[in-house]
Order: sequence, then structure tokens, then C-alpha cells
Amino acid sequence: MKFKAFLTENGVILLERRFIPALEKMGKICHVYLTKDHTFFLHNLLTNDGVQSIAQFRKDALFSDYRISSQNEDRIGFSLDLSLLLRALRSAAAISSAMDRLQIKLVKKLPPNSTTPMPFLTFETKGYASAVIQDIPISKPLSRSQVLELQTALDDAQELPRTLVGVSELDRMLHFVEKMKQLGDVMGVEIGKNGELGLKVSSSLVTLGAEFKRLMIVGEDNEDSNGDNGMNVLVSMKHFVKCLQCHLAKPDCAFYGVGSQSGSLTVVFQFFVPGSRQTDKSISFHCRLPLLDPGS
Amino acid sequence: MSSSSMDATLPDLVCQLDNVQGFCRRSHFCSLETPSGFLMILIKFDGFHHFRMPVIELSEHGIVLIVEETGCLQAKVYLQKELFVKYEYTAEARPRFGVSLGLLVDCLNTFSVPGHSSMIEFRYPGPDMQLLLKSIDSLDACIYAEIRTRIPDTMSWDYNFEPMGTTPLSFTVKSSALKEAIDDLEWPGSSIKITVQPNPPSVTLRGEGHGDLQIDFLYYVNTDLLAAFNCDREVSHRYKYKFLRAATSNIPSSVVKDNRGSKITVGRGGILKVQHLVSVARATHPHIDSAGYQPPSRIAYIEFFVKPEEVDDD
Repeated sequence: MKFKAFLTENGVILLERRFIPALEKMGKICHVYLTKDHTFFLHNLLTNDGVQSIAQFRKDALFSDYRISSQNEDRIGFSLDLSLLLRALRSAAAISSAMDRLQIKLVKKLPPNSTTPMPFLTFETKGYASAVIQDIPISKPLSRSQVLELQTALDDAQELPRTLVGVSELDRMLHFVEKMKQLGDVMGVEIGKNGELGLKVSSSLVTLGAEFKRLMIVGEDNEDSNGDNGMNVLVSMKHFVKCLQCHLAKPDCAFYGVGSQSGSLTVVFQFFVPGSRQTDKSISFHCRLPLLDPGS
Repeated sequence: MSSSSMDATLPDLVCQLDNVQGFCRRSHFCSLETPSGFLMILIKFDGFHHFRMPVIELSEHGIVLIVEETGCLQAKVYLQKELFVKYEYTAEARPRFGVSLGLLVDCLNTFSVPGHSSMIEFRYPGPDMQLLLKSIDSLDACIYAEIRTRIPDTMSWDYNFEPMGTTPLSFTVKSSALKEAIDDLEWPGSSIKITVQPNPPSVTLRGEGHGDLQIDFLYYVNTDLLAAFNCDREVSHRYKYKFLRAATSNIPSSVVKDNRGSKITVGRGGILKVQHLVSVARATHPHIDSAGYQPPSRIAYIEFFVKPEEVDDD
């Protein structure tokens, strides 16, 4: 099992300034899943409760000189502490200049005061006169069956709702939800097929809501779904707020939809190629929030 | 509640307020310049938690918000209809309803988005006697709130301020000086005796507690300090410090900045009326303000009524 690559300057910026801070809010520990072409950061895929988040990068979005090999179709999975990763990235970014190369690789090392070697993700910054090595402890690599399980969960999670509505006024929404969250634990989300998104929270004394209209619609506005009523679901306020933390990754737009069979609210973040209105296909990031039973 | 609302679909009141933005961004509530900011002033009262649910009264002249504490302190905030962009009042009897102040302020805060000027429409009553708030500044995004109201508690001393004698006993004092004096009197604490006398024309604030502290405002010594001094006989009453403080500690900073005065009137039975005028800026962009342009201001006022301490008649 081998993994070795150079993080590009752009890759460092993407991870350090945007994605890792956002992902860290979703949960401290996440799965890192490396395949021949992609790198994934995955939350809650195997636990099936809480917010699932799937961040996927094409290898050239982050790395150059990407080399991976394993006996499991060149796939490697492990879990790590994102705060440690972020710390390592920050210091690597701080000490290296643009000229330096930041190598990242999987190693097994003997930690101090121990007799059994442990796996690490190692950052090596080679400068003109010095080299800095940082080891981030990671979990034991996932077994073949665990990787398979992760891949299956990932395949399931990739299924998108048939209709999504896009909100580009993300700051406004963030501000609003920030205030809303004090009022209740349950957020009502309504997705209208004409491009409406409604958010609502109620307590015994007050109902507070927001409606966003004339939003972009992606996918089919299918007639057979629910008549013309659109979809009306409930999610945990805590989950919703957590999901909005993904805005730290600076998406350009967020699409909301309700999965047809999986019973989740899916939020897909869209990123533009810098300086354009073209979707950056090398990055994909979405969250899935479990729905609450309206009866409870 | 009001019967007029039952037979028609027309609500009692529909009004629109602009420039609600701003108050939640300022760290201190006293620096408010928007109408909704007044609500925040009330919230900063000492002992706010003991407040009964405030009562809102609607009339053809505007909206009055009344809060009261333990029957000894009452505050009224007058939002005259001129402060509103639109004010449509159709009720016959003046509707009154109780609403949670904290909720109202929280809701108003939700409406103010930094960087956006926001326009809010208030509507009362909703289908279930709620107070309805709705943002109306954008066609594509709308924020709304439905706040449950309740039948108001009867005010324990529904205020009937009567002037003492033929000429009302009143004076105007620079707001900043008044605030400072009351702040200083914290040290002796508990109860403050206010004496107004015509000869020499002066106002004396005296605190006796852990020690004595007396502050005199002399009419002839500093003409800036006291103005419009009306007093034909000596009057002296004691007031609880915490109520005096509540009536002066949250003077909006714009009042102090504009060098305004607060008008104090002593009514029958020693009831003290403290009146602050507050100018409410029209919705403008901050950069226009900083360029020295003063938009025509609108005035709203806040009144506090403080009951004197019971006198032991023996």
C-alpha cells in the first residue's frame, strides 16, 4: 500500500483556507479515501446518523505527481483528525514559499516510546536550506471489506434528488438561519417546484420563516412527484446549521433538494472556476441531512 | 379584543418601517438611531427580567410600547406614525396587546441583514391575533414572523399623570449631565431624594446610604445645564435609585451627542416624568452620513414614569 504525491499550491490553498475549515465543522474525524483519480473526505458515511458530507476532488485539483497503489484496486481509506491536518497544512503553508514542494505520503513509523509501528500521513516541505517533516497520526488503513463498504455507501450517497433549487444569496441565508436557530430544534424546509425554497421554525410563541423565490432549478420539475405542492420536510436545526458551515469552503451557490427515496435533504454546493461562471468539475461537495419524522 | 377586526378582513394596522438595519450591529443598544432601536433601549432596563410582558397600543397617532416594573416604574416609547413609511390604521377602538419583548427584538434582529437596508411591514392582527412582520424590500426573498400576542395584563397603575397645581413643575436638564449625576449616585445607593426649589432656582439630588452624596444643579451658575426651569414652590420626594437609573442609564448616545436635554416633570403625588427626545435618522447610506449630510430627522420620544417611595406618615 503506497501513496505519495505533491500538493500543489492551489491544492494547499483549497484545503487550508476553504475545505478543511469547513469540514472540520462537520466533525473532527473524517474518512480520507484515496482512489486512482480522486481524493474524498467523507463524514458519517458508515455511521448513517448525523449529517453526511462528501467532498470529492479530482487528483489534479490538489496534487501533482500522484502515485497510489494498493492491493485493493489502488484504493486506500483511513480516518484522521482534521484539526491535525489543518494544523500541518497551515504550518507547511507558512514555511514554504511558492518554489518549495510539499510532499505528502503515507508512512509507517515507530513512534517514540512504542515498539509497534504506526501509520502516519507525512508532510515534507523541502526548502532551499531546510526541510520540515510533519507526521499526522492516522487510523489503521481500512480493510478490504471496509473499503468496499465505504465505496458502497459513497455510491449510494452520490445519488442526487431529481429536482434541486439553487440559492446564491448564501450570506443572507446564513445570517437568517443564525438567528433562527435560537427559536427551535426543528427546521421545516419546503422546496417548491417553481424554484422556491422555504425555511420555517416555530415555537409556541413565534413562527419565523424565510422564503426564497425564483431560484434556479436544476433537474426535472417532474409532475408525478407530489402534485404541485412541492416537498415539505423537517430536519434537525442542529444539522441544518452544521451544513451551512460548509459555506466556509466558499461555494458560489448551494442547491437544495429532497432525495426521492433515500429520505434526506441534499445540499449540493457549486463551485465556479475562478473568474468564470463555469462550474468547476474537479471539485464536488455535498451534504445529506437525515429527515425527521413529522409525527415525532 | 377589538371587535372591529372581526367583521372585516382588513387588519387594524398595516405599517411599514424602513432602516431597521443597524441596531443589531452596534454593540451597545444605546447608540440606536432606528425606531426599532427603542425596543432595545427598553430591554436594557435594570431588572428587565421582572418586567411584565410589554403592552403595545395602536392608535391613529402611532404605536406606543409600554413596559412596567413592579408598579413603580413605567416606560413608554412613542413611535409616531410619521416615523413610518406607510401607516394605515383602521381600527375603531385602540387595540392593545401583550407581546414578548425579547421575541420581538429577536425577530427584528432577524430582519436586519448587515449591508442591506431593510423595510419591514407590521400587520395586526393576523388570523390568530398574531403580530405579523414581513420584509418587503426584495421580491425574491422574504422573511416573515408571526408573533403570538396575548391579552394584556391590566396595568397596575394605568398611568394618569396629572400636573401639580396650576403651573407644572418642570425643568430641562442636559441629558448627559443627568445621566452622569445618576451614575455618580450609585455609590450611596438605595434611595435618592430629589428637591426642586425656586429660591435659589435649583435642583438637588441627594443620596443617603453608605455615605451621603449631594449633587446640585444651580440654574444661575450654569445656564447650559438647566433650562426651562418652572418651579413656584419647593418640592421634595424620594425615589428608588434603581428606577432613576433605569430611566436615565439607557439614554441613546445620539441624544448625548446632539447635546439634547431631558425634560423632567414632577406630577401630583410626586410622580416623576422623565422625557427623552430621540431623533431617528431616515434610511441613508452610512457614507452619506459621514460626508456631513444630515438627513431630515424624525423625532420619537421615550417617557419614564417613576413613582416616589412611600412616605411614612406619622
